Amino acid sequence: MASIEGAGSSSLPAFPKGNAFRRRARRELGVGYMFTLPSVLLLFLFTLGPALYSLYLSFFSWSLLNHMHFVGWQNFVQLFQMPLFWISVRNSVVFALVVVPTQTVVALLLAAILNQNLPARGFFRLAFFFPAVSSSAVISIIFMWIYNKFGLLNGFLSVFGIVGPDWLGNPSFALSSIMLLNIWTTSGYFMVVFLAGLQAIPAEMYEAAAIDGAGRWRSFSRITVPLLSPSTFFIVVMGIVGTLQMFDQSFIMSQGTGGPLNSTTTIVLLIYQFIFSYGQVGYGAAATVLLFLLILLATLATNWWFKRKLDYL
Amino acid sequence: MVGARNTFSYRLVRVIYLLILTLGALAMLIPFAWSLSTSLKPLGESMAYPPVWWPHPFDWSNFTVIWTMVPLARWFLNSAIVAVSVTIGNLIIDSLAGYALARIPFRGRNVLHLGIVSMLMIPFQSVMLPVYILLRWLGLLDNYGGMIVPVLVSAMGVFLMRQAFLTVPQELEDAAMIDGAGRLRMFWQIALPMVIPNLMTLALMIFMGSWNNFLLPLLVANRSHLWTVPLGIVMFQQEYFVNWPYLMAGSVLATLPIAILFLVFQRFFVRGVTTTGLK
Repeated sequence: MASIEGAGSSSLPAFPKGNAFRRRARRELGVGYMFTLPSVLLLFLFTLGPALYSLYLSFFSWSLLNHMHFVGWQNFVQLFQMPLFWISVRNSVVFALVVVPTQTVVALLLAAILNQNLPARGFFRLAFFFPAVSSSAVISIIFMWIYNKFGLLNGFLSVFGIVGPDWLGNPSFALSSIMLLNIWTTSGYFMVVFLAGLQAIPAEMYEAAAIDGAGRWRSFSRITVPLLSPSTFFIVVMGIVGTLQMFDQSFIMSQGTGGPLNSTTTIVLLIYQFIFSYGQVGYGAAATVLLFLLILLATLATNWWFKRKLDYL
Repeated sequence: MVGARNTFSYRLVRVIYLLILTLGALAMLIPFAWSLSTSLKPLGESMAYPPVWWPHPFDWSNFTVIWTMVPLARWFLNSAIVAVSVTIGNLIIDSLAGYALARIPFRGRNVLHLGIVSMLMIPFQSVMLPVYILLRWLGLLDNYGGMIVPVLVSAMGVFLMRQAFLTVPQELEDAAMIDGAGRLRMFWQIALPMVIPNLMTLALMIFMGSWNNFLLPLLVANRSHLWTVPLGIVMFQQEYFVNWPYLMAGSVLATLPIAILFLVFQRFFVRGVTTTGLK
């Protein structure tokens, strides 16, 4: 807080006359730094610093309790030979590959429909957005109850004569159940982002297209989708970053084990287990570095793909 | 669409749209309705299969029982202390930085802006391990500080406030400058009052994020009297796995504060998404 007072006390009456202007500019430099200092400091301490620190830790063997010692690339080598690591990578990547496209398409369709002049738009927007503001922990517990062998979902399916599985207890269904939960939570949020983008598209474009004889689908695919690509890009990138770090739902629904049979172990859950179950900080740090690389590559690929598509327009 | 307002196909399409939206809205609300329904049932009825929607009679005892069974009041207090502190911290720190990045010309400003925005690519989950070690080293485990300090600033918040301050007219600041106002006074008396709706949005987003945060309290709070509501409910679930009415009563209570905030301040939430969602 000292910075705020410091900035205040440096404000003497001043206005351009001679080199008073330059004095003011120099003082502004200091004030600018002081205003941003708390943010920069905290972001460095708890975001950038930790990211760099994990790179450092990835070259050491450490259990939090013993002395750390340098092991070079050993943590990475060990990690690459560990089946559980590859299972977690596969789970996270499959999760992202299913959830990101699905939630993007669902959000886009909902937004496009909601953008029509329909009654009760406010209510629908409220209903779709509500899951996104609710706690992931509480939602996970509600869905554990719904996914129960004798829960609401199977009760609903039994109406159609389908005998549903124990969704979270069956390794073939557990990850898909969490995917569904995730799509349910985030689609409404991204729908609101798309809605804002849709409102920026001028109505004349659609009128012109209609005069040229374009139907609903054509004007959606030739006007709406291309003009929304900035929103889509943002949503896909946020989706990738969010899904590749999925932790809460996996942790809660599997009681921290990543079970059944590691079918819900994600990279971040594995990192958590490396610290709190196995006492292997070095492995956890190496996995953190690899997660960063994965996110970076996925983001760059998305960027490249969108750029290329825009060039063709 | 032109001149086709009353044709059959126009009406049919509208009916289909409304049908899709209604089904979607049902899908979104049913889980919450189901948790409310379960929370009002005795244990036996909650296990009925196929499921029964309407509890008869309404059994409110689950709420009173969990209130005494676990220190729920304490968890609510913890959540409130943490969320309010985090919100106040972000309002001050994010808006100071946002103001400087928008209004004060200083060397290195663009680099700083880019640097802060790029922190968005490093969400908390991915740095959980080093942050845990750092908090342990700073002695911030098992106290409120550990749940507050790491999230006192949000890159998204700085970005949001910068966008807001960019819209404040320069003339107002020039006039204040002639009057000899310093930057802190210009920030506090001129710029800040003009972005109050944005501050509301920021406050709601941060409060909600902190109230719902699960991972940070999980890392920091070992002792049950420091647990926040989401963490407490999850820990409770691991003990009373089979008593779903208790769990759903807890879930309903945990959702209530956010639901009320959301219903009252809906437009600020939506605004937050649309300003941060559109670069």
